[in-house]
Amino acid sequence: MNRVKRVLSSKQMVTLIWVICLIIVWEIAASAIQQTKRTPENVLPHIYQIIDSVFSQKLVNGSQTVSEIVLSNAAVTLVRAGIGFLIGSAIGFALALLMNMFLPLEKIAFPYLMIIQMIPILGMAPIILAITKDIDKSRIVIAAILTFYPVATNTLAGFKAVEKEKHELMFSIAAKKIDVYKKLLIPSCIPYFFTGLKISAPMAITASILVDTLQGGGGLGCMLSQSLKHAMSIYVFWQIVFFSAVIGILSFYLMSVVEKLVSPYKKVRG
Amino acid sequence: MENGYLNTGASPIKMKTSENTDRDKLNTKKRNKINKINKESITTVLYPVLFGVFILVLWQTQLLHKVLGADTFTLPLPGRIVNIIFDNVPAVLKNVQATVIVSVSGLILGSVLGYLLGIVAMAFPKWGYGGISIASAFTAVPIVAIAPILNNLTQDFSDDPNVRSMLAKMIVVMITCTVSMSINAYRGFTELKPFSEDLMKSYAASKTTVFLKLRVPNSLPYVFTALRVSVPASIISALVSEYFAEYIIGVGRQIRESIVLAQYATAWAYILVACVIGILMYAILLIAEGVILKGRRNR
Amino acid sequence: MLLAKKINQDYSRDLLSETEELESGIKIENLSVQFPDKNGGEPVVALQNINLEVKPGEFVSLVGPSGCGKTTLLRTIADLQQPTSGTISIRGLTPREIRLQQKFGIVFQNPVLYEWRTVRRNVCMPMEIMGIPKKERTRRVTQMLELVGLYNFGKKYPHELSGGMQQRVGIARALALRPEILLMDEPFSALDEFTKEKLHLDLQNIWSKTKKTIIFVTHSIQEAVFLSDKVVVLSPHPGRISAIVDINLPRPRGLEIRDTIEFNSLVSKVRNSFEGV
Repeated sequence: MNRVKRVLSSKQMVTLIWVICLIIVWEIAASAIQQTKRTPENVLPHIYQIIDSVFSQKLVNGSQTVSEIVLSNAAVTLVRAGIGFLIGSAIGFALALLMNMFLPLEKIAFPYLMIIQMIPILGMAPIILAITKDIDKSRIVIAAILTFYPVATNTLAGFKAVEKEKHELMFSIAAKKIDVYKKLLIPSCIPYFFTGLKISAPMAITASILVDTLQGGGGLGCMLSQSLKHAMSIYVFWQIVFFSAVIGILSFYLMSVVEKLVSPYKKVRG
Repeated sequence: MENGYLNTGASPIKMKTSENTDRDKLNTKKRNKINKINKESITTVLYPVLFGVFILVLWQTQLLHKVLGADTFTLPLPGRIVNIIFDNVPAVLKNVQATVIVSVSGLILGSVLGYLLGIVAMAFPKWGYGGISIASAFTAVPIVAIAPILNNLTQDFSDDPNVRSMLAKMIVVMITCTVSMSINAYRGFTELKPFSEDLMKSYAASKTTVFLKLRVPNSLPYVFTALRVSVPASIISALVSEYFAEYIIGVGRQIRESIVLAQYATAWAYILVACVIGILMYAILLIAEGVILKGRRNR
Repeated sequence: MLLAKKINQDYSRDLLSETEELESGIKIENLSVQFPDKNGGEPVVALQNINLEVKPGEFVSLVGPSGCGKTTLLRTIADLQQPTSGTISIRGLTPREIRLQQKFGIVFQNPVLYEWRTVRRNVCMPMEIMGIPKKERTRRVTQMLELVGLYNFGKKYPHELSGGMQQRVGIARALALRPEILLMDEPFSALDEFTKEKLHLDLQNIWSKTKKTIIFVTHSIQEAVFLSDKVVVLSPHPGRISAIVDINLPRPRGLEIRDTIEFNSLVSKVRNSFEGV
């Protein structure tokens, strides 16, 4: 009896029940809308309708089913987001490292980093597209910019968070600067680095999708806007919505997994 | 290592063997104060300002274009951008007003709602926290997807497309703000210093009293943590949701429209305006935080 | 059993200081340390006119209430703090020169272990910096862990150890360098009474085997009397030496010595030497 009780009150159960409640609310709303609209799928289809479309074999634009469209374009978007993410993380890490090494650089760059946080990068998307004139490059650039800020600030915080005594220990054994970095500063900033990565991974994906919407050339966002304009089945839209949400959440967990692999020593935080 | 704490000890001044006169003491005091203001603070402000000016000069003289491989059409000169703003002040203000109304009202409504949800979650911890975590999944859905859905859902709200769009945009803004605030409020209510709840219990304080006198003040720093994220996010959400709205208004929309019409200078002008809005709102937030959280140790 | 004996012999030979180092006493003359006041007022005099001589191989404790400058004195000896005036001479060299020769071993109040390294690799760390070859490093790490009684915990991570064990790793790490002088800043004050007692005995054991000069900072009079050859009593405002009490108790000292009259009269003597508290 106790075991059953424990399972019922576990965290996973709570999550599951919430998800079920949400689905119920959705279905109710969808039914309500069904009563009043001509084309209810445009507004809020039933969940089973969406699931149905995932498995349907109907060809939607002459050569692909709905799922195929979503998946093939997803690959395109994700690859670009991924490249931008990697570039942004590398630059963010390098910048944080340099800022920690050279105080003047830190003084120069810090306010600008803050400004980048405040200005709406996503709003700059069209401009960047116009400058680079290449949809692929611009996707990568934007994903890189969005990644680089959280990674740089978090990694820098990691460097600064090292206890004074650790620095003093290094000083007392007359360690050279490069040793201090190699053995102390870089390993200690890894948890903070991953915090930055966890924040920016979903953002990079969002950015990539957004840029897609501005211009053709494949990708989830492009399909999203086309589907909205009814160039193809509206279920493409809905599938993309769910798919992108899932991918966003998964990317977060992916970062956690990578972190566990890289740093097995980290104790589980409450 | 030389700049750090390891040398904060005395500088190698020889100790005065004769008595220090009052005048000497005063001079030392003044000198120390001026030294302190001079060194640290000035370089902190000076370096970035110099750098910014440097970039501006590069830009105006078109050296920047050569570096980036852009042309003055897509990357107009700063002078031109500023001119456009001043020439079109009424139009700019109208769009700014639309964007700011959307983002600020979404911010306030979303944050208040988030705080209330945090209270609910605190009252029913097991279900509440799970619920909030699920809600945070909503932020993983890109705005590009949420905005059109909301546009469709609010179709029947009003006959005026302006009002309809505004509602849709506000809801988009509200979503991020609510989620961010609810999680932080919940943490603020529950991450108390050890034994503070026990202390309250020992006074036989009622739950409401504990709430009002302990949890709410404790939650204020967390509220500002949430706001530091929500304020920039609300602006970005407002701008992006304007892309998808029915009614053509707002700074973000103008950026898009200008680019579509290949009027890049206007687009840059609106980008500059967007940046200014972002910086101003964040500055207001920081000032508010400084005033409200005055005197607290860990901000 | 045989292996343990062999290891015992090995480090008795190794860890004993070189003959020239046996002359490495510490001589402090007229030392003063001032900190500039943050608001530009009068400088804070942390230490004033300190004169102290430490013989090689001596165990010296610095005792006093907060603000008496005992930690400042330790840090100045360690070259973590610059003196305002006066000299410190170790084997004829300045603290800075000794530090650059990597002859200091420091143990802080907080173990300061690297969370991302195992115990073995934590002890290894200073040796890596000194450029000691891998084979020798491994040998010394094993010796050190044996010495502090953590032989079986080499592969564990710091967060898996208790506070007392972590502090022992800190001591092992400090000793792995073969330092001339071991500087300990209230290393046991964060631990509970039972762990402390055990570590006192362990530390005494280690010291008698390795014969290092130890400077030990503490605010506990009993700890100081139990462990040391000499107790330096410091009083605050300004930090100065009020008394130096020789501890003539026989060694090795077991825990039962704390119940003797001699021990307690020495504790009283130390306590009565404080001024202006």
